[in-house]
Amino acid sequence: MELNICHLYPDLLNLYGDGGNIIAMKKRLEWRNIECHIHNVTLHDSFEQDKYDIVFIGGGQDFEQEVILKDLKGDKTKRLKEAVESNVCFLGICGGYQLLGNYYQTWDHHQFDFIGALDLYTIGDKKRMIGDFVFSCPDILNLDVVGFENHSGKTFLGNSVRPLGTIKKGYGNNGQDQTEGARYKNVFCSYSHGSLLPKNPKLCDVILDTALYRKYRVNINEALHDEYENEANQFILNRLL
Amino acid sequence: MKFRRSTALIIAKILVKILRITGRGGTSLPGKLALLIYPALLSDLAFNTEAIIVTGTNGKTTTSRMISEILKNAGLSFFENKSGANLISGITTSFIENHHLNCQYAVIECDEAAFKTVSKHLNAKYILVTNLFRDQLDRYGEITHTLNNILEGIKNCKEATVSLNADCSLSSSLKDSISNHVIFYGVDIPLENTDETLSDAPYCIKCKSRYHYSFRTYGHLGGFYCPSCGYKRTQPDVSVIDILSVGKCDSKIVVSMNNTTYQAVVNLPGEYNIYNALAALSVGIAMSVNEQSMIDSLSTFTGGFGRMENIILNHVDTHIILVKNPAGLNGVIRYLSNLNDEMILTIVLNDKFADGTDVSWIWDADFENLIRIMDRIKMIYVAGIRYDDMALRLKYAGIDQSKIFKVNNYNQLIDEISDDKYKNTASYVLPTYTAMFDLRLKLTKKFKLKNFWK
Repeated sequence: MELNICHLYPDLLNLYGDGGNIIAMKKRLEWRNIECHIHNVTLHDSFEQDKYDIVFIGGGQDFEQEVILKDLKGDKTKRLKEAVESNVCFLGICGGYQLLGNYYQTWDHHQFDFIGALDLYTIGDKKRMIGDFVFSCPDILNLDVVGFENHSGKTFLGNSVRPLGTIKKGYGNNGQDQTEGARYKNVFCSYSHGSLLPKNPKLCDVILDTALYRKYRVNINEALHDEYENEANQFILNRLL
Repeated sequence: MKFRRSTALIIAKILVKILRITGRGGTSLPGKLALLIYPALLSDLAFNTEAIIVTGTNGKTTTSRMISEILKNAGLSFFENKSGANLISGITTSFIENHHLNCQYAVIECDEAAFKTVSKHLNAKYILVTNLFRDQLDRYGEITHTLNNILEGIKNCKEATVSLNADCSLSSSLKDSISNHVIFYGVDIPLENTDETLSDAPYCIKCKSRYHYSFRTYGHLGGFYCPSCGYKRTQPDVSVIDILSVGKCDSKIVVSMNNTTYQAVVNLPGEYNIYNALAALSVGIAMSVNEQSMIDSLSTFTGGFGRMENIILNHVDTHIILVKNPAGLNGVIRYLSNLNDEMILTIVLNDKFADGTDVSWIWDADFENLIRIMDRIKMIYVAGIRYDDMALRLKYAGIDQSKIFKVNNYNQLIDEISDDKYKNTASYVLPTYTAMFDLRLKLTKKFKLKNFWK
């Protein structure tokens, strides 16, 4: 078995250790003797939606996000939406999460249209939401997810999109409605940097499992020794809860 | 006002003494208090001293110390701020402690976020911007934000000669926004092992097209040019034209400046220290210091606090190297990869304000490059507040867990890494900022090391 992971704009969307999510997915597949290939897709490269089982989009700086919007227009946007609708697994973090939504409105009311694969939008604020945070995702796993958020955009979900989790400590999507992240088809989105997946191995396995099941109709059944992972997770839980 | 000024000075001086006696560095509190009492104090004290301000992301402390060595050998009178006390409070403390010496120069290492404020108060004649890398985004924000802060700071100092790193596409872009006299320094040739994945600036700062490179040194540094708008590296005034050897303790290089070439020994290892040496030379040139005397200074220079500092713990030869961001850490890993010694490694990761409260940067550093030398690394100790995260990072870099040793208190750590079993092993300790202070305090007590503010 093998999974193909597309890392979208790895040279542009790579803030706050988001690349650690790629490392975590790759390692956790390899430790189970499942092959993993990473495909870097950046500006001017074509996005071949049939080739990928998982698409990862990280967060970036404003400077870099502007470059990306131009590149996304047209064909790439169409293909990304097709991939989402055909149940390809996605993980979007922070800026990558926002990008999958409808638009971003800056605090001074400039609107940037995004790809609109998910029914959600983001409103920029002057105040940044920064710090360690914890959320629970009871419907996909009985576990507290920990991370570090650092965003000024407030994201609001439309009717067809569920939150990934409920905030226990921190801000999450917007600091108002206790929601964090988004779920739609096989798309997982979160504001959690940190990196997200190494410290939340069960969430990583849920994503891998979703992709494996879609491709091979098999589930992950091999548990790994997650001592270090759980200790790092527990440290933040102890600090915050 | 005169009363407030003298009150502020006296109280601050007493505080400096008290803090020293009680064994705390006392580098920022006195200045902070004095500024509260008399806000114009720093401008007052700094008025008659020509300031050399060193700012930028990496290499500030080492380069400042190199500049001091150059000034010392040139017989010029100066003082410097110590031990990374590089915010306005710490810099004020330095002036409080030293103003009675009536030095001609002050060598001031300045935090890049504090620079735009500090520069208003000092009589800056020379400004050096070492480079710009991603660093503690929770605190500084985006790189372009830091760049703008530095620009504002330089604009406060119209008289100053500015030294810029020609190889850094970010900081060298400052040239076009200032009217100051600028001296460029840079490395004219590729440095070894440039299989670098991390670039903090792949796209043109001016037009957002992808840079091309005629050669790379490390990170985003090198011979960049933008095919779209034509922005490109400026040929530097001070440059390295050849590297003769890169050793465990030093680098031998050939430097070209003012149309003359010199062989030089940089008495600190690591290619990032070659940049630091060049940066120091560029300031010396701006000050018209004798060139051979500057070159000689590089070979007599010894590292600053926690910058490749060498100490013996029990019988173990130990080197302390501060790490604070991916670019710096990658530089250290490259340096270690070039060594043939058997070694132990200690990484101490804290997440206090001065370290950056977000530890995710460890995932942007190439710990995977340690794999190639794991046969020489006997053990990697991880300590500090976030040692769980560090251990996890190493595991996912592919390092066998039998070679990762998690230790959650400094006393146990020190016992381990100073044990006789390591007496023929080189020990490298890589702490983040506050971890270095915490660890240093313990080491000072146990091994009677010199106090850190000296």
